[in-house]
Amino acid sequence: MSEIPLPQTAKRVAPWWLMRHETMLAAILIVALIILGFLNNRFLTVDNLLNQGRLTTEVGLIALPMTFVIITGGIDLSVGSTVGLCAILLGYSWKNFDFPLPLAIAFSLLVGAAAGFLNGLVITKVKVPPLIMTIATLALYRGLAEGVSQAHSVRGYPEWFYFIGQENLFGVPAQLWLLLIAIIISGVALDRTTFGRTLYAIGNNETAARFSGLPVDRVKLIIYTLSGFMAGLSAFVLVSRVTTTRSDMGIGYELDVIATVVLGGSSIFGGVGTIWGTVVGLAMIQLLKDGLALTGVKGDATIVVIGAVLILSTLVASSLQRRRGGV
Amino acid sequence: MASATIASATPVLSVRNIEKSFPGVRALSGVSFDVAEGEAHALLGENGAGKSTLIKIVSGVFPPDRGEVIVDGKAVHLERPDDARRVGIATIYQELLLFPELTVAENIFMGHAPRGGFGRVDWRAMREKTKELLASLEIHDLDPDRVVGALSVGNRQRVEILRALSHEARILIMDEPTAALTEYDVRRLFDIVRKLKARGVAVIYISHKLDEIFAIADRVTVLRDGAHVATKRVAETDSAELVQLMVGRKIESLFPKITVPIGEPVLEVKDLVRRPLTKGVSLTVRAGEIVGLAGLVGSGRSELAQTIFGVTPAEGGEIKIRGKKVDIRSPGQARTLGIAYVPEDRGAQGLVRPMTVRENFSLAALGKVAFGGFIDRALERKLAGDGVKRFSVKTSSLEQVAGKLSGGNQQKIVLGKWLANQPKLLILDEPTRGIDVGAKAEIHRLMGELAAQGLAILMISSELPEVLGMSDRVLVMREGRIVAEFTREQATQEAAGAAMMGGQGVEQAA
Amino acid sequence: MTAATFARAEADPRRLFKALASQEALLAIAVIGLAIVVGLDNPRFLATRNLSDVLLGNAYIAVAAVGMSMVIVSGNIDISVGSLIGVLATLSGTLAVDGAPIAITWLAPLVVGILVMGLQGVVIAYLRIPAIVVTLGMLSILKGGLISVTGGKWITDLPDSFHLADIELFNILPMPVFLMIVATILAAWWMRYSARGRAIYAVGGNAEAARLVGISQRRTVVMVFALHGFFAGIAALLYATQLRVIQSTVPPNLELTIITASVVGGVSILGGVGTVIGSTLAAILIAEIASALVFVNVSPYWIRAVQGVLILVTVIADILRRRRMAGA
Repeated sequence: MSEIPLPQTAKRVAPWWLMRHETMLAAILIVALIILGFLNNRFLTVDNLLNQGRLTTEVGLIALPMTFVIITGGIDLSVGSTVGLCAILLGYSWKNFDFPLPLAIAFSLLVGAAAGFLNGLVITKVKVPPLIMTIATLALYRGLAEGVSQAHSVRGYPEWFYFIGQENLFGVPAQLWLLLIAIIISGVALDRTTFGRTLYAIGNNETAARFSGLPVDRVKLIIYTLSGFMAGLSAFVLVSRVTTTRSDMGIGYELDVIATVVLGGSSIFGGVGTIWGTVVGLAMIQLLKDGLALTGVKGDATIVVIGAVLILSTLVASSLQRRRGGV
Repeated sequence: MASATIASATPVLSVRNIEKSFPGVRALSGVSFDVAEGEAHALLGENGAGKSTLIKIVSGVFPPDRGEVIVDGKAVHLERPDDARRVGIATIYQELLLFPELTVAENIFMGHAPRGGFGRVDWRAMREKTKELLASLEIHDLDPDRVVGALSVGNRQRVEILRALSHEARILIMDEPTAALTEYDVRRLFDIVRKLKARGVAVIYISHKLDEIFAIADRVTVLRDGAHVATKRVAETDSAELVQLMVGRKIESLFPKITVPIGEPVLEVKDLVRRPLTKGVSLTVRAGEIVGLAGLVGSGRSELAQTIFGVTPAEGGEIKIRGKKVDIRSPGQARTLGIAYVPEDRGAQGLVRPMTVRENFSLAALGKVAFGGFIDRALERKLAGDGVKRFSVKTSSLEQVAGKLSGGNQQKIVLGKWLANQPKLLILDEPTRGIDVGAKAEIHRLMGELAAQGLAILMISSELPEVLGMSDRVLVMREGRIVAEFTREQATQEAAGAAMMGGQGVEQAA
Repeated sequence: MTAATFARAEADPRRLFKALASQEALLAIAVIGLAIVVGLDNPRFLATRNLSDVLLGNAYIAVAAVGMSMVIVSGNIDISVGSLIGVLATLSGTLAVDGAPIAITWLAPLVVGILVMGLQGVVIAYLRIPAIVVTLGMLSILKGGLISVTGGKWITDLPDSFHLADIELFNILPMPVFLMIVATILAAWWMRYSARGRAIYAVGGNAEAARLVGISQRRTVVMVFALHGFFAGIAALLYATQLRVIQSTVPPNLELTIITASVVGGVSILGGVGTVIGSTLAAILIAEIASALVFVNVSPYWIRAVQGVLILVTVIADILRRRRMAGA
């Protein structure tokens, strides 16, 4: 084949597109904030905004490793069930195994990590596609939660237990600090470390990543384990906030989390996405829920909009990608 | 055997002045040839000569930029593979397009199953018709009710051929049909081809394997660099002439070979085994040495490289790196041992095309630009910048998306990313495939420099002139084993070609 | 013996064994076997009343699994069906309470089901959005929409004529069982004997190869989803008409149960293989297991875990089998 040398005119460079999506989103976010503040003058108070932050933590914690997972082209549908399982085991091991509460908390975190690890193991070793494996574990983990709890809930935790869920630290809700730390760690990891670079490589061309000597299977195992662990952490925060553990906790989380990540600019097909985008997506979804609440739409109905947002943002991202003429 | 006469009637298939270009590459420039009814016509050419592009045009995968496809004297417009099928052209690709969970009979008749009452699918008629097809090609060991996924490759290929027949194909195109077949299956394939010819079906047979072409084809068309070079009657030519037509370049002028002192063995492989294609390979590569590995497509060279590199770890045998026995289980491990592998398919295996030049340059050497896991962007930019300069990569900036560069520049990035690791052993798999002459010369010059710096280089190539011009020693691989070794002085195209094809060749039936 | 005769003789015992080992036969054996085992432990399990309750109460799942199996065979997935059934059931009940003609209350869920699922099929096939994203989004839209419109209140005061599920044909065959059998047989026949039915297997097995023989993946996917909506409508009807009241909420985890029935019934999650006869048998088996748990004094709260294990084991076995086959 004789080659015609290419003209060197191609100027568009991958990170720029990313930047554009996030800045667009951030702009929309600011506009939405202003509008909501206008509609309800108690909205833009520090108090209210911080309270919003409190409510987003549970989804936010899980959205961070989910960003990693989706960037590699995978998905984890079992996170909601893992939250339920960890919440139940936290209460159960404390009440029925007589674990001291700190141990029970550690135990439930461990279970979360183990649940994620199982996902990762089967996905990398048996090579079951992530979608299918996590649908199966979505069923299994929820089933285990229901079986263990027998529909009993656990209450009556000591005072200190409610700190993370309900109290403030330096004037900011305690769980928000946790989320903030998690955001910074994930963001830095994704942006600046070899780990993050490996994730993007896997999402864009897993074969080439392997052929370059990158530890693809090990990294995948890590992100699914992290996903489970963060679900456990989220469960802890959730139980602390609502003071009780029930087996139906976390139902529907996967929708919120995936919508957050996709809205934040990560492509469902992999290879693209940032933590900062996910954070903006998180804020937008929370704002959306608030906006709906202000117009009288009750809690449950907001998932209608979230579902629509999920489909629409995938549609937009996919047609944008096609117009760029993906390489 | 070659058939006695080619009828001088209207050819069943004719292509005229076909031109096709892709961004950055002119794949076909003005190719014409024709095929007669009942003829077995071989299509020969190196990798990148344009054979598969031509076949895709005839199969309706995409249209040509210019030129015509003519069937039975009438020009046809093929926009979809379905169109080609309807005018009687059937293609069997290397990756067989079958339904693994469905039966042989259903695979054959999917889309045009025989119907019974109420328009329902008539399974019994389907089975009967399948048996008729089987009988017409004298295949007696294929059960119409067996699930295709459980069949051997040879059997699956036969199912594809039967499917083509069921659509009353008049032109059957086979793309490297014997690449994955056993000798027994190859003989059976030839049997089938002869029967097809007797029925008036024209067979276009793409192959590298000269001995097969001489066994089965009536005429052969040679393509080179996207152009038609010659069409010859098989009876009127020989392998030496075909090789010359395929390659047709002067060797000397292209390859600046410097004599370099050869040092200690860096790679020693003994009786390496890995199913299915590596059957006991032994070789040695020394520091400063360039060892060329020649062989036909399917001889197992890339598989060998990938076993040494840890992508498909060895199942038997021994590998020694700089005298020490090692068990290489992953590419990461190979990299730590100082091995670098520039793969055959740079788009799918070598480069992450959506990522930038900078990111691709550091991909195999992230450890070198990172401290405690944190990537130092400045260091990374320096690494990439140095690489771009050293290898003369033509790019508008380090942040350019790698996939938009030309093939030659992409290849330089893949090479460069591995050299950042300062490897001791460099395995190159078809390093200059699909690259223009200028970039080719640059890469060859680089190879010489690297050898002079003490790197051990194992070069896999299907371009004999390149192998002969660059190597200190030439190894020839066939069917998973090393069958010949030549020093630089001893190696000639004829000797290497003969070893590649094998002395006996496939039996020629009467 | 010529090679031909030898091969044929060798094929025959293999064919017999294969028929016996087919997923459908295994399921039938499991259904009967489980009944025997549990019945030995607790004979009340085998009481006609219990067995018929199990069958009648869960027939709608088998019907929904017919449509789901088609979707999965075509290489897709749908997790919105549970929510859709909730919506369609509520729709039907609401129409009935508002005095609509009974025929309309029965037809409405079918029509709406076809439209909603068909729409999803169009988005998946033509807009190229992954099925998981579309059906996850739709699940939420339907679920949230239902709650916000009805507030979760129960629909009572249903007219007597509404209760389709109570009808007994010829005074012995209950409508749910009848519909389950008819749906299964018709769908099985169609998937085996019609060209469009076989096209589903082609598209799910190897979409590229299907295109080569002129089968349009896009049209096939839309058709499959529309059919899925139709069967979901029938299932919703059975679900709505079998009790005196309709809870206008989405039955929890219904889609998972339906998917489990398909997958355990032999429909490979990767597409291209499986039958609706298998999924119906599996649906019966799962319902039987749920009932059996109660009779052997295992808390019914473990049923979801059992489903989860079933689906996980089946999927892993299927993937391993495929990998082994690909290596052949």
